[in-house]
Amino acid sequence: MKNIHLFACPAVLALVLAFLPLAGFSQSPAPNRIAIVVSTLNNPWFVVLADTAKQRATELGYDATVFDSQNDTAKESANFDNIIAAHYQAILFNPTDASGSVANALKAKRAGIPVFCIDREINSTNAATSQLLSDSYAGCVKLGRYFVKTVGRQGDYVELLGLVGDNNTWNRSKGFHSVVDRFPGLKMVAQQSADFDRAKGLEVMESMLQAHPDIKAVFCGNDAMAMGAYQALLTAGRENQVKVFGFDGADDVVRLIAAGKIEATGMQFPKLMARQAAEFADEYIKGRHDFPAKIPVPVELVTHENVSQFGDYGKK
Amino acid sequence: MRLVRWLILVLFLAVLAWRWPLFHLLPLQAVRQQKMAALFDPGQFAAKFWKDRLLPSLPAAAPAGSLIQAIQTDPAAARKKFGRSVGLGADYFYFLSGTGKVVSATADQVSIACLPPYTNADLAIAIGPVFGDALRDGSGLLSINDYPNSQDFNAISAALDHLSETQVLPEVKSQARVGLTVRLAGCAEVDDESTDLRPLNLVPILFEAAPTP
Repeated sequence: MKNIHLFACPAVLALVLAFLPLAGFSQSPAPNRIAIVVSTLNNPWFVVLADTAKQRATELGYDATVFDSQNDTAKESANFDNIIAAHYQAILFNPTDASGSVANALKAKRAGIPVFCIDREINSTNAATSQLLSDSYAGCVKLGRYFVKTVGRQGDYVELLGLVGDNNTWNRSKGFHSVVDRFPGLKMVAQQSADFDRAKGLEVMESMLQAHPDIKAVFCGNDAMAMGAYQALLTAGRENQVKVFGFDGADDVVRLIAAGKIEATGMQFPKLMARQAAEFADEYIKGRHDFPAKIPVPVELVTHENVSQFGDYGKK
Repeated sequence: MRLVRWLILVLFLAVLAWRWPLFHLLPLQAVRQQKMAALFDPGQFAAKFWKDRLLPSLPAAAPAGSLIQAIQTDPAAARKKFGRSVGLGADYFYFLSGTGKVVSATADQVSIACLPPYTNADLAIAIGPVFGDALRDGSGLLSINDYPNSQDFNAISAALDHLSETQVLPEVKSQARVGLTVRLAGCAEVDDESTDLRPLNLVPILFEAAPTP
C-alpha cells in the first residue's frame, strides 16, 4: 500500500497540473489588460513608443503595463513568462532580437495571447499575429541618396551600426550601402556597432576620430548614436568638418537638423505604429483575427530643407 | 496490486509525455519556409521572377497613355484607379506599360511623351545607378508577408534594380534619340506629388523601338 502511495502521489499531482488549464483555472484571461514589452527604455525614442502604446490602450479601455527588456533576450523571456502567468489579453511587442525573440512570441501564441510587433521584426511569419515595421531599408536608400548629394562623391566616412542581432540594423546599413557603395570615391574607413546606444556612440566615435581624423561624414543606424557621435565631434572640435546622419526622427536630432548641426535623419513615426498596434490588439480582442503578417510603415527623409514639416516624432 | 502500480506508472508517463512532449510536429509549410530562408539567393530569384512573372504581367499594367491622362485630369482619382500603396504610408507606386515618343535624350536622362501631340515629358528615365523599391513593390506581385526575414525581401529589391540597370538601361542609352517611338514598361514611385508626378520617374522593365503611334 505504501508503494502505491509513492507512485500515486506524483501521478495525481501531474494529473492535477495537466488538467488545471482544461478546468479553466488558468486560461480565463483577466479582463482588459494589455502588456507592452519594449526592447529598452534607455532611449527616448522607445520611451515615446511605449508611452504612446500605453496611452492608446488606456483610451481604448485597457489597463496597460510597460515591461522593459533592457536589450536582453533573457529579461524579455522573463517578461513574457510573467505576462503569460498574469493572463494579459494581448502583447504589444518591440523585440530585442530578430531571431532570439521568436521563441517568446511563440510562447505567448501557445498560451493564446496575440502578439503585435512594433518597429522591430521577428524572423517568423507565424509567431506574431501581425508586425508593424518601419521600412528601414527604403528609408536608408533615401538617406543614402541625400548623403551622396551633401557629402559629394569623394571622401572617407565611418558607420556606427546598431545591435547586430536586430534586422533593422542590417536593413538600414544595406539600404544605405545600396546607394553609397555605387560611388567608389566614397570610402567607408571604419564600421563598428554601438548597440543603438548614445553613450556607446560617443565612445566609438571618439576612437574612430583618433584612428581616422580626416573623415567627412558619419552614418549612424539610429539617432541616439548620432547624438553620441555629434557629442564626440563637439568635444574634438570637429563638428563643422564632419557631417552627421542619423535615423529615427528623434526630437533632439530634428532640432539639431533645424539648427544646421546634423544633416539628416529618417522619420520613423513611432506614435503612428504604437497607436495602430494598440488598435489592432483591441480589434483582436473584440473578434477580428485576419491581420496581415507584416505591415511596412514608410520612413520619410528629414533634412535642412523640409525640417519645418516635422516634430514631436512625426509630421506636423 | 502489481498491475495497478504499472497502470499508475504508465498513466503518469503518458500524462508527462502529453503535457511536456519530447518532440513537436511542425507544419510542412513552416519547415519549407525555413529551408527556403536558409537557401535564399536573391539574384537567382530576381532573374526567375523577371522572366517568369514580371514580363508576362505587363499586359495587366496600367496603359501609359490612360495613366498620364488620368494624372493630368485628377491625380487623386488616378491614384485610386491605378496606384498601389504598401503598408501605412503615403507613398505609392504605378506599374505601367505602353508606347511613347522620346522628346529628349541626354547622358543623364531620357524623357518620353505618352500623349499627343507628343511634346511633354510625361515619363523620365534616369541613366545611372538604379535604387529603391519601385520594381519590387510597384507590380504588386511580391508581398513582404511571404518572407520571414525582411532582409531577403530587401535583397530582392536590390537584385531587381540591378537587372533593370544592367539589362534595360543599356537599351535606353543606346536606342534613345529624339523623335523615336518606343514601347516601354516599368514602375514609378510617388513619394512627393509636387515633384514625382510630372514627369513620372520610371524604372524601366522594357524599352524597345516601336512603330510610330
